[in-house]
Parts: sequence; structure tokens; C-alpha cells
Amino acid sequence: MKHFRVKNNFNEDIPSEISLKLFWRIFKYTAPYARKRNILFILVILRSIQLLVITWMIGKIINGPISSGNFRDILLSVIGFFAFVIFTQFCFIFRSKLAMELGESVIFDLRKEVLEHLAEMRMSYFTKTKVGRIISRFTSDAEALRSGIQNVVFVSLVQFGGMLVASILMCYYDWQLFMCVLALGPVVLLLDRYFRKRLMKAYRDVQESFSRVTSNVVESIRGIKVVQGFSREKLNSKQFSKLVDTHADYNIKVAENESVFLPLLELNSQVFIAILLLIAGIRVHNGTLELSTLIQFFFLSNFFFSPINVIAGQFNMALTAIAGAERLFNFLDEKPDWVDRPTATYIEIKGKVEFKKVNFSYKKGTPILKDISFSAEPGMTIALVGHTGSGKSTITNLIAKFYLPDSGEILIDGKNILDIQTSCIRKKMGIVLQSNFLFNGSVMENILLGKENSSENDAIEAAEKLECRDIIEALPEGFNTIVGENGVGLSLGQRQIICFCRAMLANPKIFILDEATSSVDSITEEKIQNALSKLLKDRTSFVIAHRLSIVRKADLILMMENGEIVERGNHHQLLKQRGKYAKLYREFQLAK
Amino acid sequence: MLMKKNDAESGERQRITIRLIKLSWKYKAGCFKTIFIQILLLVTALSGLKFTGLGIDFIRKNYDPKAPEPVWPFGLSLPQNWSFLESLLFITGLAIAFSLIQYLLNYYDKMNRARFLQKGLVVDLRSAVFSKLQRLSFRFYDSNESAALINRVTSDVQSVRLFVDGVIIQAVSIIISLSVYLTYMISMNIRLSLAGLSTLPLIFFTSYYFSKRLKPEYQEGRKLMDELIMKVIEFINGIHVIKGFAREDYELKKLKNVNEAVKKQKYNIFFLTSIFGPIVGSLSQLNIAIILLYGGYLVAKGSLPLGSGLIVFIGLMHRLSEQINASVGIIDNIQQSIVAANRVFEIIDSDETIKSPKKPIRINRAKGCITFRNVYFEYNPGEKILEDISFEIKHGQFVGILGSVGSGKSTLLSLIPRFYDPSMGAVLLDGYDLRSLSLEDLRRQVGVVFQESFLFSKTIADNIAFGKPDATIEEIQKAAKLAAVDNFISQLPDKYDTIIKESGSDLSGGQRQRLALARAIILDPPILLLDDPTAAVDSQTEKEIFTGIEGAMRGRTTILVSNRISSLKNADIIYVLQKGRITQHGTHSELLKQKGFYRKTAEIQETGIEDI
Repeated sequence: MKHFRVKNNFNEDIPSEISLKLFWRIFKYTAPYARKRNILFILVILRSIQLLVITWMIGKIINGPISSGNFRDILLSVIGFFAFVIFTQFCFIFRSKLAMELGESVIFDLRKEVLEHLAEMRMSYFTKTKVGRIISRFTSDAEALRSGIQNVVFVSLVQFGGMLVASILMCYYDWQLFMCVLALGPVVLLLDRYFRKRLMKAYRDVQESFSRVTSNVVESIRGIKVVQGFSREKLNSKQFSKLVDTHADYNIKVAENESVFLPLLELNSQVFIAILLLIAGIRVHNGTLELSTLIQFFFLSNFFFSPINVIAGQFNMALTAIAGAERLFNFLDEKPDWVDRPTATYIEIKGKVEFKKVNFSYKKGTPILKDISFSAEPGMTIALVGHTGSGKSTITNLIAKFYLPDSGEILIDGKNILDIQTSCIRKKMGIVLQSNFLFNGSVMENILLGKENSSENDAIEAAEKLECRDIIEALPEGFNTIVGENGVGLSLGQRQIICFCRAMLANPKIFILDEATSSVDSITEEKIQNALSKLLKDRTSFVIAHRLSIVRKADLILMMENGEIVERGNHHQLLKQRGKYAKLYREFQLAK
Repeated sequence: MLMKKNDAESGERQRITIRLIKLSWKYKAGCFKTIFIQILLLVTALSGLKFTGLGIDFIRKNYDPKAPEPVWPFGLSLPQNWSFLESLLFITGLAIAFSLIQYLLNYYDKMNRARFLQKGLVVDLRSAVFSKLQRLSFRFYDSNESAALINRVTSDVQSVRLFVDGVIIQAVSIIISLSVYLTYMISMNIRLSLAGLSTLPLIFFTSYYFSKRLKPEYQEGRKLMDELIMKVIEFINGIHVIKGFAREDYELKKLKNVNEAVKKQKYNIFFLTSIFGPIVGSLSQLNIAIILLYGGYLVAKGSLPLGSGLIVFIGLMHRLSEQINASVGIIDNIQQSIVAANRVFEIIDSDETIKSPKKPIRINRAKGCITFRNVYFEYNPGEKILEDISFEIKHGQFVGILGSVGSGKSTLLSLIPRFYDPSMGAVLLDGYDLRSLSLEDLRRQVGVVFQESFLFSKTIADNIAFGKPDATIEEIQKAAKLAAVDNFISQLPDKYDTIIKESGSDLSGGQRQRLALARAIILDPPILLLDDPTAAVDSQTEKEIFTGIEGAMRGRTTILVSNRISSLKNADIIYVLQKGRITQHGTHSELLKQKGFYRKTAEIQETGIEDI
């Protein structure tokens, strides 16, 4: 996972122009570092002049002291030259350090904003947004923006400044010769535009074909059992070779474009020098041009040509940066679906839960819950029964205030949950979901997550209350065993027990359990049943049940179908009704 | 002790290097072509430079008769009767011609490299690694992480390529060009050359020092950033836990700390990187200052021409320091390509532990009798997974195997298609030891459905016909009908042409398993192996899957592994597996009568039936 990242933004659009508004917004992020930024600007302008002066000095030394053969002058001017070089390089230390720091600081702030934004978003956001999308905001988009801040503006300024000063100098020396230089400018520019477009397309093809190669490898390796089980090795290898071959063809196309285009720019400046030699030579011969001017032009023309190429490259980088910024800002601009009312208060929760004519839908037009009403007294166990998609987990999502109802009211201890602070409800609630999610870290850390400011002793006590301390201590390192994706492999039963301890530590008034559907091995099952009965005791519990033993003991069974409660009552009452529950129960029994 | 380890390591490096050189030798035509072009390039570059310098000297002489005569190479000179303009045209024409030749050579160089490396070496190596990976046994996959394996086909192969163009070719061309430049410079003026070269070693060592200092810092930076990304992914994946227990602030603080650490680490690097550029910059400018000073003195004295002397010299120095900079890269390239080559060769060298014997017994269609004869199995020596397993299954029988997690039941099943070979004992099909059969024949006799079925991002039809790519649509539909998944498929807008996304994440568990079932029975195998196909689904879906299984089982020897009594009770015979041994066997009703694991499991799974 860590080493394997397919570039995922080649199919996202790259804008063709730079929007000023966006640019301004990026610029505002540098405001906290205004001093750094301003010094940087000064250094950059300074540098564009310095680089040119160095070259000009070389020409000057050759034309002056060296041509006239005065050794004392040569020595003095070379010392002067080197002193200036040292000064230039010294400035450059700060120029590059400040640019990097500025970029990193801005990106740091942006990353922080992304994190805060994530913590603020509601559950609905996470169900509809892919992890990969969020991560690429965090990585590739932020990185594009960083290089934009660090390079685009400052490098372009240096190059452009150099070009400008070089033009002025050349004009000053001989405007007619400069016209020759100027005439070649558009040629370079046009060539650059034409080839860059072709190159971009070629790069895109390479990336696309490469992502086909990698996804083929990924599938072949992850599905190796199936591949070998069905004797597909030879065919798969043949198909893969074809993919790799196509990818290589695209690589060759890139090489072709690059090798036509990139040396072309160099050729250009060589041709220019040859032309220069010819024209200037004739004029020197006729006595209308100084030899020294020819030599200066020889050096200065470089300052005119190479920036064209660099700036064009920067422009592309700017487009990528702007595209990244745009996606990043769009992401940050998304608002949470709802926020707590300012009048919401903090109450001591006892555990009475009521639904009054609650309607809800995840997507407009497809109602999930219709007119749900029920009431649960503190300490009751409510079992939610019904097929997948009947709305069972939606009810628990609404109790946890992960979502707000479209209409109707949900009351806790007689108070509308809209008037109760969200954190107040969640702190008095324990949740264990099907996935039995564990974070990378020790078992202890995972349990401690259940309640803030709790100690390790509290966690051990919670495990003891569930009579599960022995199970955790039997793990390789006991409570210090590292679990999660990078940790040791735990069985489903073991994971479930850690989640139970986490919920137990929270000592909730309201307990929500979405039972895992996978079969736990039968001996652990006993342990889980036992822990479960302790968790359910004295709390208002909502259980999406797959175990009949829990359903049978529940104080209230809500039989759900298509978002409605079709039957309600306890096990015996419902069996007597001989309705849908009784039928479902018989099927259960039959299956055994 | 430590010394010994280092010795072993350097021996290993040597071995890999030799092998890499041998690999490069396979592509010697391309390599020699590249080096030849490099030499031509060198010659033209020097000539181009020389003619520009001559041009300047020529004009200077014309402008200032006191200036020294331009010195033509090989004692040649322009015809005396040419006019100034004619001569000038000739010189510029030559300069342009040389640039054009250079341009063409550069083009050929790049294309030649792309052809023999990207289209040649990379394609060959990738195909070789991939096809080897396809054939390696499950034991290999058990001990290797899949992300690392993926990298071997993609980035590691490119790093191996680097050895050819980034190490061998690069080194040869640097050596050639350095010696040519040096000879040329020395032939012009030996003292000036020495003066100009004096700072080069300094530049080399500074570059080397900094790249060495910076490398671990960059690695550390990447590690921290990876950590941050991993934490954010975890934050998102565990969002319901974090929100459910109202711990957003706490988790956010942890993330912010890592973010802070990333920034702090970067700031450390910034200082180092920003002094590196200027130091190297100053050194190469120092070079120019020295040449200006000493060369200027020589020009002033008249012992060095200005154009073909000093200006050419400055041009040469420029190219020389470029070469020196490039040579710093070679050291990194060697490191990188050796590490990658080690990983690539490891795969190519791995033994295919499971393959057909030299003279396999061929079978067209087996009857489906399976015999286990005193089978032992261990993944790691000393850890017995299966112990002394013996039983016989007649053709057409439905056999159930009950066992808890870690009892070895999936392992037992995977011995039948030879995903693994037993450590001791033998498994037989129709009386033949599996190891004497052709592997392809054997696997064609067996249809497997795994616990969690992997589907490929192809169309539904392609997925069902995975083991029989030439199946007709009728055959595919027939298999789908048998597996009770035809109804669902025909409700999809694109029917059998629907493309399955992200290994089937848009399908339900029941749909996935029934598709896997169809995939298994399209080959009409005499043996059907079901490895706990309902482990990850709820009881409603379990029923759904079993409607498919019942259709698929007919006329085949079927072995079903499960820990649900409800799935097993219709079997002709059930074996109970505990800690790698068979402890009980019999039919459902027989086993219920016995005291033991089977009855205990049944009781736990059906607690409280009595109290209705």
C-alpha cells in the first residue's frame, strides 16, 4: 500500500487559463508569512540582475583587460568578478531557503485545514466520498500547489527579469543585432507550444497504459488462487506481455517527441550564434561594429533564449498547481450538512429514547424510513429484525445523531436531540459495529479510545467486568499487543471482544450493537454471548441481531420491512401473532 | 562477527553485479550502438566548439591585424584566394552543419535507447517476472506481501534497467568523454588545464557529501509523510468509531502532531539543500575566475588565441563539470539497481515447488474418487497443521468437514487441487498420486469456491468463463442458471456484459459467491470444492447461496468445509477436524447421537430451542 500508488489525477481536467481569483486566494495564504514573502521578492529581483551581471562581467573582462593585455587590470577585474559571484551565491542561499520554507508553511497550514475540515464533516460525507479522493487532495494536489508556490512565481520572475535586462543591454550595444535575436523569439515560442502539446498527450498515454499494467498485476497477484485454480497462468502471462508491450510503444513515442523537441531548442541557439557570427562578422569587417559587441552578444543572447523555454515549463507547472488548488479549495469549501443549534444544551442522559413519526432518506426520493414511531424506556433491550435494506442500521445511525431525520422528532429523555449537544449524546453512548474496527496501535490504546481521560486500570477493569481479561491477556503481548492493519492477525471473535471492552469503558447509557454476520468459531461464541449479556444489562440497547438468543430475550422486537415497522412486541407476543416474525423465525429454525 | 556479515554482503553484491553485467551483455548491440553514438557526439561537439572559436579568431584577425593568426587544425588553412565573406560563410556553414549533425545524433541516441531498453529489456524482464509469479506456489505467496510483489514487476524492473543506461553506458561515456576533453585541453595548454581542473575534485566531493547527507533526511521525510497519510486513511476508515465515542478532538490533535513533525523535519532539510546549490555554484564560478585570470594572462601575452583558445576552454570546462555532476548520480544508480535487481532475481530464481512431473499421467475426465493416505502437513517445520489424515471419498458423494478456526480444514481442502503438497503421505485421485498427474489436467477436474471470492474487473461473462476462455454464451448462461445467479444478471442493464468494478465491491456477498460458483461449474468438473463459502454472510444470504450450491452439486463429488451445522447436515458423511486430526465422522443424525465436538457445536448454535 505504502509503496504502491497509482497516479490518480491524470483524468482530472487541467484548466487552460489561470484564474485571478484563485491566484489571489493562494496568495492570501502567504499573509502570515508576509515578511518571508517580501524578502523573497526582493531577493528574486536582485537575483535576476545578478545572474546577468556575472555573464556581462565575463564578456567585459575578455573584451577589456584581456584583449588589451594589461595583466594588473585582469587580476583586479577577476577579483572583483569573484567577489560578486560569492555575494550572488550568498543571496541564493536565502532565496532558496525562504522559498522552500514559504511553500512548506503554506502547505502545512492547508494540511491542517484539511484535517480540521475532516473532523468537522458529518457521517453522510464519509459514506459518499471515496478515501482515495480525500487522500489525493492531501497529497498530489497539495504537492502541486507547493511547487507552484515555491517555483512558479519566483523562477518566472528571475527568468523574466534576466530576459528584460539582457534585452536592454543588447539594445544598448547594438539594436540592429538585437532585432535578429528578437526575430528568432517567436520561432522558439511557437515550436515550444506545438511540441509541448504533443508531449503532454504522449505523457498521458504513457500514464494510462501504465495504470492498466499495474492494475493487471494487482489483480493477478491478489487473485492468484483463482488464476492457478483455473489454470489461467499461460493466458494471463500472454495478455500481460501484450499490455507491457503497448506501454513500451507509448514510451517510445514519448522518447521520439522529446528527442525531436528538446534538442531543437539547443539547435536554435546554435544556429543563432552562427548567424550572429556571419552578420556581425561582415559588419566588423566593414567597420560598423566593435568586436567587443560581438563577444557580448555571444554571451547575452543565451539570457534571451533559455528563459523562453523555462517560462513555458513554468506555465505548465502553474496550470497543474492551479488545478490542484482548485480541487483543494472546492474540497475545503464543502460545508457540513448540519451543525448543532446554538441553543443546544448539555444534559445528564438517563437513556429514554423515542421516535415520533420519523422519516429519513439518504438520497432524495428514496425514503429509507417511513413514519417510524416507538419508545424505549431506560434499560430496555430493543432488537431490530428484518432483511438487509429494511432500515435497521438507519435507525441506529439516527439515534447516534450521525444523521438528522428529514421530518419527525427523535427524543432522548423527552428532549429533542436537536436541542442536545452532539458530543453529550456520543459520550453517553457505546457503539459496536459489524466491522469491529481497530486502529493501528496497542489493544490498550484501542480500548482507551472509548472514554477520554481514562486510565489503563479503567480499561483492565472494563475487560474484567466482561470476564474477558483472560482472552486479551492470552494475546502475544497481552494488552500491549499491536493490532490493526499492521498488527497481529486477530480472529473475528477477538476483535469483537476488544470492541466490547471499548464500549464497556465508555459505560454508556445507550448501547448500539450491529452484530457481525460472519460466523465466529463456536467456543469463542460462548464467551461473546456472556460478555454481551453484561453489556446489555441496565442500558438502553439497540441490537441489530443475527443471534436468536438475543432476539428472544429482547424487551421489544421491532420487525422492519421496507423502512416500516411491520410488527412489534416481545418474542412470545410476536410468535402468537403468527405474522411475518413467526414466519422468519420458522425459517431460522428450519435452517438449523 | 560483524566483519563476516559485511563480507557476505559484499560477496552478494558482487554476485548480483556480475549477473547484472551478464544481463546487460544480452543487449550488447544496443549498448555498443549507444556508446558509438556517444563518441560521435563528442567529436561533433568538440568540432562545433572549435569552429566557433576559429570564427571569432578569424574576425578578430581581420579587425585587428596585430592579433595572432587563427590556428587551423591538422595544418589546414582556407584557400588564400577566398574573400573574407567567402571564408566567413564557410566557417558559419561548418558550425551549422555540426549542430545539425549533433541534433540528428541526439535523436538517434534517444530512440536507440528507448528501443532496446524500454521495448527490449523492460518488456522482457517484466514478462519474465510476471509469468514466473503466475506459476509460483501458494507457499511463496503466503510469505510475501502482495504490495511488495507488485512493485517488483513495475518499479523494480525499471531500476534494473537503470543499471544498463544509468551505470554501464553512463560510466563508459563519462570515461571516454573525460579522457577526450582532458587530452584536448592538455594539448591546448597543459598549465591552463591543470589550473582549470584544480577545483573539479572539490566539486565532486561536495556533491557526493551532500547527496550522502541528504539521502537519509529525504527518506525520513517520506516516512513521516507516509505515516501521516496512513493515519488520515485510518481516521476516515474508523470515522464511525471516532464520532461514535466523540473523540474527534483527540484524534485531530494526534494528526496535527504528525503534521507538525513533517514540517519540522522538512525545515531541517531546507537549510542543507539551500547551501548545497550555492557552494557548488561558487566552486564552478571559481573555476571560471581561475581560467579568466590565468587564461587572460596567456592571451595578453599572445601565447593563447582568444577564440579557439580561451572561449573554447570556457566551453570545455562547462561540459566537463556537467560530466562530473552526472558521475555523482552513478553511485546512487548502482545502489538502487543492485537492491532492485536482488528483488527481481529472487523471483526469477524461486523454485516452482509445485509443477507437473516430467512424464505426467494424462487424464481426460476423472471419476472423482479422492483418497487421503496418512497425510501430514506443516507450513513451518515443526508446526503440524494436519496429522495422519486418512479417508476415502467415493465419486458423487457429498462430504462435509466441520472444524473451528485453525483446525486445518481449509488446508485439507487446498491439498486436493495441489495448491500445496503434503509433507508426508499422499493424496490420490482415482487411485493416482496427485504428484504423478499433469497439473493442468488435475486442476481442470476441480472447481473451487473460496471463502471470499475474488472477481476480476472484467465483464460478468468473462468472469464466469475465466477457466474456459472459449466458452460460448450458452455455456455461460447454463452455468449461471445452475448457480442460481442468472436471474440477477438478466436484471442488470448490460446483462452479461456488465463490467465488475473493484473486485466486485458493488455486488452483495451472495451475488459474488454465486458468480464464483458459476465460474467453478462452467468447466463441468467432476469435483467441487467449497471452502466455507458462506463464512462472511448473514443467514438470509446463506440460504441464497445454498440454492445455487444444490444445483451445482448434482453429479459431482462435493466437499464442503464449514463451521455451520446448518450447512453441513445434508452431507452423506461429515468429518470433524480438531487441531489437524479427524476426531469424528458419520452422518448428521449419527453425530448428534455421539457425545463430542459436533454435538456441542450444534447445541451452541441452536441454544434455547427447547425453551419455546
